Amino acid sequence: MSSLRVFFALIADTFQEASARWLLGGLFAISTLLILLFLFVLQVDVAAGAVSMLGVPSAFRRVYNIQHFVNVSYAWTCVGLYVFGTFLAVFASAGLVPSILEPGRIALLLSKPIGRTILLLGRYVGTLLIVILNTVYMVTGVWFIIAYKTNIWDRHFLLAIPVMIFVFAVLLCVVVFIGVLSESAALAVMVPVALSLISALLSQHQFMIKLLNSEWSRQLWMGLYWIIPKVFDLGHELHYFVLIDERSDWITPIWTSAVFGAVTLIASIVMFRKRDY
Amino acid sequence: MSTEYAIEADGLEKIYRARFGGREVKAVSNLTLRVPVGVKYGLLGPNGAGKTTFVKMLLSAVHPTAGHARLFGEYAQYTESRRRVGYLPENHRFPTYLTGAGMLNFYGALSGLSNYQRRKRIPGMLKLVGLSDWGNVRIKKYSKGMLQRLGLAQALIHHPRLLILDEPTDGVDPAGRREIHGILDRLIEKGVTVFINSHLLSEVQSFCEHVAIMRKGTLAVEGKITDLLAGAGFTINASRVPALYLNEIRAAGATVLRVLNGVSIQSPDSDHANLVMDKIRAAGGTIDSFAPSSASLEDLFLKATAERDD
Repeated sequence: MSSLRVFFALIADTFQEASARWLLGGLFAISTLLILLFLFVLQVDVAAGAVSMLGVPSAFRRVYNIQHFVNVSYAWTCVGLYVFGTFLAVFASAGLVPSILEPGRIALLLSKPIGRTILLLGRYVGTLLIVILNTVYMVTGVWFIIAYKTNIWDRHFLLAIPVMIFVFAVLLCVVVFIGVLSESAALAVMVPVALSLISALLSQHQFMIKLLNSEWSRQLWMGLYWIIPKVFDLGHELHYFVLIDERSDWITPIWTSAVFGAVTLIASIVMFRKRDY
Repeated sequence: MSTEYAIEADGLEKIYRARFGGREVKAVSNLTLRVPVGVKYGLLGPNGAGKTTFVKMLLSAVHPTAGHARLFGEYAQYTESRRRVGYLPENHRFPTYLTGAGMLNFYGALSGLSNYQRRKRIPGMLKLVGLSDWGNVRIKKYSKGMLQRLGLAQALIHHPRLLILDEPTDGVDPAGRREIHGILDRLIEKGVTVFINSHLLSEVQSFCEHVAIMRKGTLAVEGKITDLLAGAGFTINASRVPALYLNEIRAAGATVLRVLNGVSIQSPDSDHANLVMDKIRAAGGTIDSFAPSSASLEDLFLKATAERDD
């Protein structure tokens, strides 16, 4: 009971800090702006959109019918939200872990009858909850506006919510790890963003291994591909799922990314427990 | 499980190792110390003596390289041992986004207090430290002295049996300092052990019963302040002593200072003091007063931290 109380207090403290630093308000304000953009600015009328596509040069015009146009619109909006929402969440949350490690603050926290694991997990879960709320609000809001305007209620779009939350949960493990290791918020942003970009590069492995001329470099490429969280692959799967509702190999990118996240989080906890403050 | 001591340190040692094979720094070395339950205990030492590292080892914020510490008989590394401890760190950084009451609520929850207990205790705690009117104000608007008092309230909210205070009156004005000492005195009456880490010698001398002085990570002096400051000889105040005799007294090994109505003579022991008084009387002088003299804590501190320098 006491541990649960402490855990909830740490989560509440994360919300209070995020609110005081304008992170909570900022996240929801940006999400609201995005929703308003879809509500007032973007032309999402199906017929008008399809007609306007006729003006696009033929090389880019791959829209053959209204249904396909709708699916393409949904898929690209979904992927856009996925990229935007994930990076926004990383930027917003990266300072929340190093902030509790500031000298003068961590010593007092550690003097309380709480375990270091609970202290770190409380921050992790608090940050994750903030992002979950924002993701649900942003994706649902955008989906609702598009669906209301087009009158096409494609629920595949909403899969972006769990995928974004999952990817953020994995990247947050990296934020925590870098935060504990370096106590630097800037580095805690840079590393997960860099890993996401690298994952895009590594996902081209089928093409790249043909270009690499040595066995060890091919193995290194594939090794990194399996280790690094598959931010790009999951976005790719999400895109195709919304677009054509098939070719969905979710299992591999999910379990490999989950293992990466779990190992990183456990390493963070071990390091945090051993460090002197 | 022993409960005779609030704090027990046995052979405590901390070596900080720089990353990538850098040099080692021994912050605390083979420190053995006992703090009895219910006393006011002061920890002194020059900068870098290892005081803060020692305190952090007690709170498990720093892991000892060797030895162990116990709080009320329970090993300090166990989470439960800290349930009976209240701590006010030096250079604290309280979350400035919280109000005074919000901060007490947060740290009260971390200390294991229920919602009901916190609601009940927070107004009383704010009143105790004179911040009743400031409970709903964000603490970024607090002065240094107010932050210290709020810090004391967070250390007390769960009714600890041991209070570890790092520079508790730092930034507090003399009236506020007196108030804090008053609060601590009332806690002592209730059986709370107060352990103060301070660089203010006068504060430790006036407030504490026991003192430990650390030097280069080791314990240089430890004991009751009255015992440690006793045995500094005797002071004789005399008048109408001829100058010729004063030279004789000086030659006999006494320190002679001219004061307003005569002289003050510092004698190392009772035999010597008797000899000096005989000489003064023989010369026609008058003994105005005679008392054992006590050294100040500053003298003791300087002696403890200076001698044995390599």
